[in-house]
Amino acid sequence: MYWKYCIRRIIYGFAIFVVLIFIFSALFNTTMESTLRSQIEEEIRGETLKLDTRMTPEELIRYIAERREFKQHLYHLDKPIWSRIVWRAINVLSLDFGKATIMRSSSGEADVWTIIAECLPRTVLLFTTAIFINIILGLWLGLKKAQKAGGLMDKTTSIGTMVVYGMPSWWLGMLVIMFFAYTIGIFPSGGLHSIPPPTGFAYYTDLLRHMALPVLTLVLIGFWGSAFLIRNIVLGILQEDYIMAARTRGIPERKVLYGHAMRTAAPPIVTMALLSLLASVGGNIIFEGIFSWPGLGNLYWISIEQNDIPVLMGNLFVTTALYIGGLVILDLIYGFLDPRIKVGGKQ
Amino acid sequence: MKWIDIKAGFRDFWDEFKRVRFGLFGLILLFIFILTVFINPYIVPFPEASSRWRDITYWEDNPVSAPPVWVNWFSSTKRAPSLILKEHDFSEEKMGKIKLARAVFEYEYPYDLPPLDVIFHGYAKGSPVIMLSIERPDGQIVELVRRPISKSDGKDVRVSIGKDSRIESYNFGVKYEKPESNRIEREMVKPTSILFSEAKEGILVHPAPLKGVYKLIIEIILPAENDAVEDIYFTFSGGVSGWLGTDSSKRDIWSGVVAGVKWALLIGLLTAFTAVSIGVIYGVISAYLGGWKDSLMQRIFELFIGVPLLPVLIVMSAIFKPNIWIMILMMSCFFWVGPVKTVRSMGLQIKEETYIEAARAFGASSSRIIFKHMIPLLIPYSFASMALYVPSAIVYEASISLLGLGDSTIVTWGQILHDALTGGAVINGLWWWVIPPGLFIALMGMTFAFIGFAMDKILHPKLRTR
Repeated sequence: MYWKYCIRRIIYGFAIFVVLIFIFSALFNTTMESTLRSQIEEEIRGETLKLDTRMTPEELIRYIAERREFKQHLYHLDKPIWSRIVWRAINVLSLDFGKATIMRSSSGEADVWTIIAECLPRTVLLFTTAIFINIILGLWLGLKKAQKAGGLMDKTTSIGTMVVYGMPSWWLGMLVIMFFAYTIGIFPSGGLHSIPPPTGFAYYTDLLRHMALPVLTLVLIGFWGSAFLIRNIVLGILQEDYIMAARTRGIPERKVLYGHAMRTAAPPIVTMALLSLLASVGGNIIFEGIFSWPGLGNLYWISIEQNDIPVLMGNLFVTTALYIGGLVILDLIYGFLDPRIKVGGKQ
Repeated sequence: MKWIDIKAGFRDFWDEFKRVRFGLFGLILLFIFILTVFINPYIVPFPEASSRWRDITYWEDNPVSAPPVWVNWFSSTKRAPSLILKEHDFSEEKMGKIKLARAVFEYEYPYDLPPLDVIFHGYAKGSPVIMLSIERPDGQIVELVRRPISKSDGKDVRVSIGKDSRIESYNFGVKYEKPESNRIEREMVKPTSILFSEAKEGILVHPAPLKGVYKLIIEIILPAENDAVEDIYFTFSGGVSGWLGTDSSKRDIWSGVVAGVKWALLIGLLTAFTAVSIGVIYGVISAYLGGWKDSLMQRIFELFIGVPLLPVLIVMSAIFKPNIWIMILMMSCFFWVGPVKTVRSMGLQIKEETYIEAARAFGASSSRIIFKHMIPLLIPYSFASMALYVPSAIVYEASISLLGLGDSTIVTWGQILHDALTGGAVINGLWWWVIPPGLFIALMGMTFAFIGFAMDKILHPKLRTR
């Protein structure tokens, strides 16, 4: 029952997300509240400026105290700590991340969710493109390596895998910018599009030009690893008995590779692609900051630079949701491709 | 498992490891890295780089953003490198109560571009007067600075020719310029470029280098008996400086990068060791206990799997401002999930072995079985995954530092790169500031990748090449 497995997995993923949100909410409670308190003070100061000037100082003090009490009640700051944590977690789950202190969305709104929703598709666009190219190149190289395992090509490219193993993508990004954007000057050094953005078809070519360098960097770092993994997957399969059987029957090697081996290799390779996408979210995301690519990763840079805690926290919640969502989708696809998975133990 | 078994097991492992060539190469690289930590003071010009990285007085004699020395080998205009000149001829004369000391430093100048600054250093006691002049290869002597020292029990004297002899150098140069040629402002001239140039027309505007041996002459008037100026030397802040150049805050990058080695090793090894140890023990316990305890432990494990590592680390660092030890602890808290899945499945297999059953029949406690009979079997796997976790720990720390959230009391490669990024190294093409720190991160990652993959190859013979 695939759909039952799906529902169970989705509910389970959601449960993990809820628990994590509660943990984050508790962990960062103090910081969040001090930001909130200063925001309240700011609002009250703004209100008093607009007030009737004929008020006596006593009245003014009483008014401020009343307003403060009201607002603190509004934001649950007068409740005990555990109820504040729960309240904030529920807020986050209903996508209410509060207001940014300094940062604004491109349309000038201070709502954190709007700011993040603006960045989300750009991150997805950049990383999916890169991973797609990665997998294509990785498949091509990995199959070659697996066919002649232990050969010169296999050995040299395996060394390549190890050479880039601990190389930070953002460092390579800096080098790529220095070379391609400043020394040769054929690609722009960063950003999403030129300013002002061109219209019509030119908009897309411009976007591609701006995407070229970040994608190039991600591919240069990534495809060695995917080639190596694909090699290992395919090599493991090529040693199975049914491959030998197919070969003894005289089926041409190309057909054995693509028809027999690749069919079995598909699920792990799809998993690998999704996993590397997730790994990018989990470990590579600040790479965007180097290219000023205005996605979620760049948002981390800006919110830290401007010390905008609500945006930073909102960004963390969204990234976490994205990450867990990815893990769930991974399991679903895997269950779909490999029927043995979804039987699920004891049934 | 007895000690002798471990020794035998290790010898077997080593015999196999020896045959993996890139594994050996990794070990050699690791050895070199560890060696640099110990011989650090002997291979860098600024051995206190690690502790005084952000102390501007420590770096003040260096040039700003100077390329590495070896750039000269590839360039047609040779720039004078940074240098410390200590050798000198010293003579002393007594004139009544007053002593007159004289020190001559010889400076060989075969370059095309002069040093940016020449700085005199000394340690003065009493109230001496220091006079500095230079004798050029063409025989001219230019008096540069006269610096009386107010009475003191001892203080460091620093005289910079570049700053303190503007007027004297200008006056020397301006004699050769035609009065009608458009003169440049006195504040604009660089004293060293006048002093190290041919005395002819154009000395202020288009100086031609005068090559040869220069004599820097220090004359010191010592009015009282106990007055003295000791430890005198010159530093030249050159157009090229050090093996890897300097950054925009005058810091020597080679010293910084070498100082970063020990922190990278510490961060990588400590994080990997803690995390893998926790993960292996956790996985084995989970496998051994089974039942609802296993399920509970697996749920907790899955909770940790759902955490996007870098974002959480970034937010935690931004909010809690941790020092390096807390940072290592934070990373270990999230890294331990890595080996759990594999270890648990291995543990489930080992658990069914007959000798475990026998141990249980003898009445061995759970902890004895886990630590004495199960974990030793997982040690080779643990080491392989430890080696592969070291690079990620280093990269994570570097990424956090790149955002400017690192521990500011130490110097790591990520922090140097953060400074490079904010200092405009990418835009201004200061490649010697960007490439080395990242290259060292990559090299260190490569070292452990070589070792880890080599162990992996031994542990998973199925993937061995035919």
